[in-house]
Amino acid sequence: MAAELPGELVADLFRRESGRLVAALTRVLGPAHLALAEDVVQDALVSAMQAWRFGLPRDPVAWILQVARNRAIDLLRRDRRLAALRPALESEREMAAALAPDADPANQLAMMFSICDEALAMETHVTLILRLLCGLSAAEIARAFLVDTQTIDRRLHRGRARLQELGRLADVSAADEARARRPSVLRALYLLFNEGYHGSDARHPLHPAMCADALRLVELMLASPATGGPDGHALAALFCLSSARLPTRLDNDGAFVPLVEQDRARWDRALIERGVLHLSQAATGDELTRWHLEAGIACEHTLAPSVAETDWRRIVDLYDALLAQAPGPIVAMNRAVAIAELRGLDAGREALRALEGDEKLSRYTFYFAARADIERRAGKRAEARRLYERALDLARSRAERLVFQKKIAELEK
Amino acid sequence: MPKFMYIFRGGAAVAPGLSPAEMQAHLQKWYLWADALAKQGRHPGGNPVERSGKTIRGTDRVVTDGPYAEAKDLVTGALILEAASLDEATELALACPVFEYGGSVEVRPIVAQEL
Repeated sequence: MAAELPGELVADLFRRESGRLVAALTRVLGPAHLALAEDVVQDALVSAMQAWRFGLPRDPVAWILQVARNRAIDLLRRDRRLAALRPALESEREMAAALAPDADPANQLAMMFSICDEALAMETHVTLILRLLCGLSAAEIARAFLVDTQTIDRRLHRGRARLQELGRLADVSAADEARARRPSVLRALYLLFNEGYHGSDARHPLHPAMCADALRLVELMLASPATGGPDGHALAALFCLSSARLPTRLDNDGAFVPLVEQDRARWDRALIERGVLHLSQAATGDELTRWHLEAGIACEHTLAPSVAETDWRRIVDLYDALLAQAPGPIVAMNRAVAIAELRGLDAGREALRALEGDEKLSRYTFYFAARADIERRAGKRAEARRLYERALDLARSRAERLVFQKKIAELEK
Repeated sequence: MPKFMYIFRGGAAVAPGLSPAEMQAHLQKWYLWADALAKQGRHPGGNPVERSGKTIRGTDRVVTDGPYAEAKDLVTGALILEAASLDEATELALACPVFEYGGSVEVRPIVAQEL
């Protein structure tokens, strides 16, 4: 082993194996023993980190698996109350079946659908998905959500307690059970994606990874007939079309780049094509979900050659439909921004001002940035400056602060 | 060229609560460090050791379980490499990732067998 310096580690191997093995072991041991599964996987990963420092084993994935399994058997031997679980772990055939790569989709879907339990809050769903399926620590989740680690620990505690009450993980091959839970699973993945996309610290490497994980998990659902469906394709389309623009969202200084200034030639063509394909598959069936509408909006933006050549009529129509289905201040704000492009700055200003009293928008940095943009374009420098400064006060990250500082500096030229 | 042994104690393997992403990032640092040593022709060869083991002590050869050192003193691996002097070997060890999570390195010259 020492001779094989240095190693070539697959990107995200530890995180991926964490999610894969926790799901697989929880399926074998039952959700009552979730804590045991998590401990065993954590131990196996620490062993791998320790053992691989001077070179990688020939098959790293098999290595971790073997260590996790041995560790689990070891723990079960020491605790007589757990003796009933031993046959499943010691049976070569059962273990091989549960841990084979082709069992991964079923294991992870079972875990994901169990997590999105009606008794748990939406943010607990996302927190559990990040912890159990994406391998993030409580501290990393806390950083992503801008809350303290204790809050995340409390959510994890509630979620684990609920999972432990379940006798078994959700049966995702049963169409009824899967169908009933699908909306809340999609909603959780949407939040997961948004946290990665609009997260407070976009320079943190885990944020694009969260977007990639959300896409991976929704495509996992689509691969199975019981969990897939047009709404899942719509959400996957939204993820692809938005992710395609990730490479241009920050400039070299780490400042957030507004859509109008993004270099469209650098958008990811392969992801755009994948998104368009998902969108066409989403068009089957007669349901028009909010994911369809949001994907439609993302598609208009992504396929347009420039902001000026964007079909704003269609985007406003899609926002109107979205507002009817999922009313909310951020959607209304984005619609108002589209109105400015379609009907001119005065109409846009009026639409944005109409939202002024909203409590959420009064703390939302991009609301003031949107109003500032309109005043800047209308030549009202003093008003634009005042609004950019307001946006600057509310900015949550360096990327946001930098762009507003740049805008203020440009006004003074 | 003279050979030196690095004896590693503590570090990431005994640090509590590392996330999978942190573990992988830490491991990458070891590869970068070892890679740099190899490229300088220092022929680094390391071996990790497990946490558990046995200790045999005294003329009675009493066998006990485990090294039972405190986490920070627990030997977690060793590496042999070539360097011009103890000072140079010490300098090279300063860049070792073991310090990221509070570990230590003992640098020991290996006694030359030939005169």
